[in-house]
Amino acid sequence: MGYRLHVYDELNRPYERKNLYLRELAEIDEALAEKRGDAAELKARRHELIKQKKDHPYIQKLAAAKAAEQQKLKEIRAKKQSFKATDYHSKTLARWAYELYEAKEHEKFYKPLRELSYDFELAYLAATTKLSRLPAMIAHQEDLEVQKEALEEALAKAKKEPREPIAQAIAKRIEELKATSEAERKKIKELHRTRQISTKAYKNKLGQIKRAESEEVSTAKSTLDPVFRLSDQLKNIRHHIKTDPQAKERVLQSDISDIRRRSPVETELTSPWRAYVTAPLPGLGQLLNKQYYKAAFFFLLSLLVYGINIPYVFGKHNYRGDGLAGLIGLAAGKSRVDRSIIFMIEGILALFLLIFAIVILYLSFRDVLKVERDKIKGVRPYNYFETKKLISRKGFPYIVSLPALVLIVFIVMVPIMSTILISFTNYDPQHQSKFVWTGIANYKEIFLGRGVAGGPFWHILGWTLLWTAGATTLAIAVGFFLSLLVHQDRVRGKKIFRTIYLLPWAVPAFITIMMFSIMFSPGGPLADILESILGYPFNVKNSTSATRVVLILLQTWLGSAYVFMLSTGVLQGISSDLYEAAHIDGASPFQQVTKITIPLVLYRTAPLLIGQYTFNFNNFSIIHLFNGGGPFNPAKYGNIAGSSDLLISYIYKLTIVKNYQAIGAAITIVVSLFLLLFTWIGYKNSKAFKEN
Amino acid sequence: MEIKLVNVGKKYEGRENFTIRHINLEIDDKDFCVILGPSGCGKSTLLRMIAGLNSITEGEMYFGDRLINKVEPKDRDIAMVFQSYALYPHMTVYDNMAFSLAMRKERKEVIHERVMEAAEILQITDYLYSRPSDISGGQRQRVALGRAMVRKPSVFLMDEPLSNLDAKLREHMRVELVRLHKSLNTTSIYVTHDQTEAMTMATRIVLLNDGQIQQVGKPEEFYNRPANLFVAGFIGSPTMNTFSGHYRNGKFISENENIIVTPNAEDQAALAPFEGKAVHLGIRSERFLSGEGDDGKIKANVEVVEMLGKEKLLYCKLSDGSECTISQPGYFEYAPDEIHNFHLDKDGLHFFDSESSERIN
Amino acid sequence: MTDNKRNTEQAVAKIQRKKLSRKEKLYLSDKPPLTTTGLILLIISYAILIAWAIIILWPLYQMTTAALNGSLGRYISLGSTFTFSLKHFKTLFNETHFLLWTKNTLFIAISTALLTLVVVSFTGYAYSRYRFKGRKASLMAIMLIQTIPAFAGITAYYTIHSIVASLVPGFSRQIWLIMIYAAGGIAGNTFILKGYIDGISSELDDAARIDGCSNFQVYRLIIMPIARPMLAIIALWSFIGPFLDFLLPKILLTDPKQYTLATGLFTLISDMRHMQQPVFAAGGLLTAVPIIILFISLQKQLVSGLAKGSVKG
Repeated sequence: MGYRLHVYDELNRPYERKNLYLRELAEIDEALAEKRGDAAELKARRHELIKQKKDHPYIQKLAAAKAAEQQKLKEIRAKKQSFKATDYHSKTLARWAYELYEAKEHEKFYKPLRELSYDFELAYLAATTKLSRLPAMIAHQEDLEVQKEALEEALAKAKKEPREPIAQAIAKRIEELKATSEAERKKIKELHRTRQISTKAYKNKLGQIKRAESEEVSTAKSTLDPVFRLSDQLKNIRHHIKTDPQAKERVLQSDISDIRRRSPVETELTSPWRAYVTAPLPGLGQLLNKQYYKAAFFFLLSLLVYGINIPYVFGKHNYRGDGLAGLIGLAAGKSRVDRSIIFMIEGILALFLLIFAIVILYLSFRDVLKVERDKIKGVRPYNYFETKKLISRKGFPYIVSLPALVLIVFIVMVPIMSTILISFTNYDPQHQSKFVWTGIANYKEIFLGRGVAGGPFWHILGWTLLWTAGATTLAIAVGFFLSLLVHQDRVRGKKIFRTIYLLPWAVPAFITIMMFSIMFSPGGPLADILESILGYPFNVKNSTSATRVVLILLQTWLGSAYVFMLSTGVLQGISSDLYEAAHIDGASPFQQVTKITIPLVLYRTAPLLIGQYTFNFNNFSIIHLFNGGGPFNPAKYGNIAGSSDLLISYIYKLTIVKNYQAIGAAITIVVSLFLLLFTWIGYKNSKAFKEN
Repeated sequence: MEIKLVNVGKKYEGRENFTIRHINLEIDDKDFCVILGPSGCGKSTLLRMIAGLNSITEGEMYFGDRLINKVEPKDRDIAMVFQSYALYPHMTVYDNMAFSLAMRKERKEVIHERVMEAAEILQITDYLYSRPSDISGGQRQRVALGRAMVRKPSVFLMDEPLSNLDAKLREHMRVELVRLHKSLNTTSIYVTHDQTEAMTMATRIVLLNDGQIQQVGKPEEFYNRPANLFVAGFIGSPTMNTFSGHYRNGKFISENENIIVTPNAEDQAALAPFEGKAVHLGIRSERFLSGEGDDGKIKANVEVVEMLGKEKLLYCKLSDGSECTISQPGYFEYAPDEIHNFHLDKDGLHFFDSESSERIN
Repeated sequence: MTDNKRNTEQAVAKIQRKKLSRKEKLYLSDKPPLTTTGLILLIISYAILIAWAIIILWPLYQMTTAALNGSLGRYISLGSTFTFSLKHFKTLFNETHFLLWTKNTLFIAISTALLTLVVVSFTGYAYSRYRFKGRKASLMAIMLIQTIPAFAGITAYYTIHSIVASLVPGFSRQIWLIMIYAAGGIAGNTFILKGYIDGISSELDDAARIDGCSNFQVYRLIIMPIARPMLAIIALWSFIGPFLDFLLPKILLTDPKQYTLATGLFTLISDMRHMQQPVFAAGGLLTAVPIIILFISLQKQLVSGLAKGSVKG
């Protein structure tokens, strides 16, 4: 790649090159690209030019100017000590005084060099901008400082004055104010008593009077008490002294940044090779680009990457595991205390740390690459101020989402990832300490319904689906039906019914389930009632079908309250216009319910009702707490599951109780995929998502 | 404060084209400048750039002789009234008005004084301690104005502030805004898509379309001398009738030759370079004269008659099927399906170059 | 409306008492007069409503009486006579870790709520107000993560805890539980809060910026106070969650002294040797009452939070 005749800024505006040496090269390159003239000769000339670079008159001139610049800058810097903060009102003023001096010197020095290079021109323009702004800024600041001093003096004096008369005056004024607002309060009370204004308006007014009173009191203080007034003024001035320079410097920097954006750079680089070379060490590239703060920041990240992430990946600082290697070996051949599961999870952690490290390296690389490419094009790299501004404008969402990301990665992603991986191993009671990869063996077992753990899978899945459909639909039907009944115009005591019907939702489910479990156990109240009806003792918990029926009824009892509440909310919101219109159109009350009420309620609560299905699919508490998944039926369900177990309680038993972690994980993955698909379809069609 | 925009342009990130570009504009001190344009023309973008809420991609913007491209909104000494009023719902009216001063750590006494002063001018002292949700739309509008006033800004920005009010209140507030502007004597910039608001309130109108300034000037200039076909079609109700045709032998001849008119001497001079070229003729509805003129007559079939009291609006179809709107004194008798003859008032003709759509005369 | 009702009611009452011909009286209601079928339907409705009310109240009544019945031993049964006594409560406080469980649950619930609030209030604001790279993709990811059930990672939870605990000494299982709850709630709550803040006009942000607010001040002084109702709902749900959850504490907490109310109360009835059914009823009652009061008094807010969280809305 060769040089271009012009350099360009971010908005692709072209600029003439000032570097004559590069311009000559660019002319040759241009001619070569357009196949003008003798290629061999041009190449030779180009070669010669590069070889003789040092003798090029422009390069010599530039070198001389740069040497002089170094000298001059050193001289100026040497003067910095003479601007002591003690000679000025404040540190800021001392700094500005120095900057003003610096700008004056810069202006003088760079003025003749303007045409030599864009760097010099930029320095000159920045200096003139500073010269035009700083004096006014200094004057304003000095004025504030003078005001502050005067106020401080006045305040000190006012503090010495006797306080008593002032306090008395204030107390008197406050009393007057209190009396007026008291009178007003009385007036309003009277109005309220005689029902001329509503209670809401009355309370509103009282609040307003109170607010007005406190406002008046504080105003009275500031008018009557000079100390109060002066310190208030002083606070204001101090605020200005603090914030004005910040704002003004920001404006000044922004304006200089504007000039920077319109001042291109010229570089002898033709390819961004530095970005590639420095990619392994974030910060180095930024350093070479002279972006020092950015470099420091990336060096810190480098430290993180090479101090923590990479060593961890290679097994250093691990708890027990062996970094990423542990993920493959799973502690095979290690000592007896080394457990595969720890090696696996540390391997996953290592994987995430590695991803994190790669992301950092890539971000740094991309940053350097962009700066270099821009430079070749002519765009001046961002300085500290510009980068800071960019980050504060665009970085906010990333910075504030970072904690959430970290939490989600380490608490949600790592566990899910390990579950996925475990499902491909033989982690079972025989292989608690050491297990190995076994591919999709577990999934085969599940789908074919084979083995100790996989055997009852299809039976359990069948009951789970039946349960989900049955319990949820029944709860929805009952809840909705009840809300319709209560909603009838002629039914009295709506409030009482609604409160009672809410109770199953409001009482924590685990308590009611446990209570029902007690009542259905032999000797319990419900078991007694059942016995008196049937005539013989009947233990629900020993019969598969009875347990299942009771579970569905119990969930109906629990779930209908929630549906009742939701549909009552919707019913109350349906405008009576709709019914009146239907009435005029000749719809019977029954038709009104089926054609208006049901569709409307279903439409409005659909997502929440769908949520009820997924909730019941995963309803662990009710199964576990009511009968522990029982009764047991080893002939059909094997030794692990009971006949009322759902997939989730089965997973619980497999992984936590019986240590068949691998099969449990495989089932978990199947269930999760199923749920994901279910929701994905729902969300994809949802309006809310499309709008985003 | 004068405001000067030099070649200002704005390109949103991720968009191909500039939303507005090459905006050159000078707004004088104490002007009431209305930025007018159809929706999507970039007028709100322009206002937001003046406010500092949107960055400026290219060009320079000056308040007085101060370059303010990069100055933050709060340091620009401006105040803005928003379309939705943007009152903070969790603060009382008083706190809403005091907020900007409190943010600047202004003295309590000063805050109180300024809030009270603004409240008295706007007659909202009675509900200073209510919340915005407890007061009516018109009152909210006043609070929004009050919040802007307490800052004593040197530039007053308003973004369609009346569009949420009903017609009657809007008419009332229009007058009040003008009165307020006169008493405050602050440079005001007002964005609207409603030409009535622009024509009645502005001391100067800027008409934008497609991110370009179409015309800048006093309201009557817009009505009497629209700078191009877009302005002609945008300003005035009913809109100006335009006919395409040619200028030949000192005469305008419409496409189907049903309108032939000889312009007056002044217009003829301006039209001289367009001899033989395609031009548009524009004429306002009230510049139709009843009966036959020197250049013959225009036959119009009256389709709908709108009686407005002092005048009648006739929606007519000409012999070639083109539509036009004619207004005549209210005491003239017209009925639908009648055919009447009209001719054009030669001092009310507007000519536009068909190619560039710029005004000729 | 109330007038109408009163009129109908009067009319109904009259019909029932005297069976007077309706035409003699002036009929004032807007509703059509009650027919015989209507009357029968109304009676059936009442019957069903009252029956269901009994079905709901009876078990709760059983629990209450069991808790207060001094004549019950270790089991609850129908036959025993009622003698008022607080002995089960005494047992609950003196012989079980009930107070400790309550303390644990409150600690976990409050910490979860706070952690969720801090994280979510930022993400919700960022997602609502900023357009940044990866926003859409991460929103999608958020919604999918939300659907993966919390138990998906149970096997790993133990191990991760021991790894982290080896690095950070004070890292207890309760803290781990809090983090799991909070992290699990981030996705859904971010979405809910984002939706709410989307509804706050961005002109308010602009106005605040002109009034002199920085980015962070807009968030703190304007957006957060306005979003307070939704933040309260999010905090409330995050607070209630640990009270109701059984699975995670069952898996993660092994020491009875660390148990939450759900797992702790279960120990009173799970094992034949320590069966204490009336004591469980007493504990259940004490736990349920504050939550019932909370739910009933805040039902509208809680439901609106749920409704807003649903995506179709």
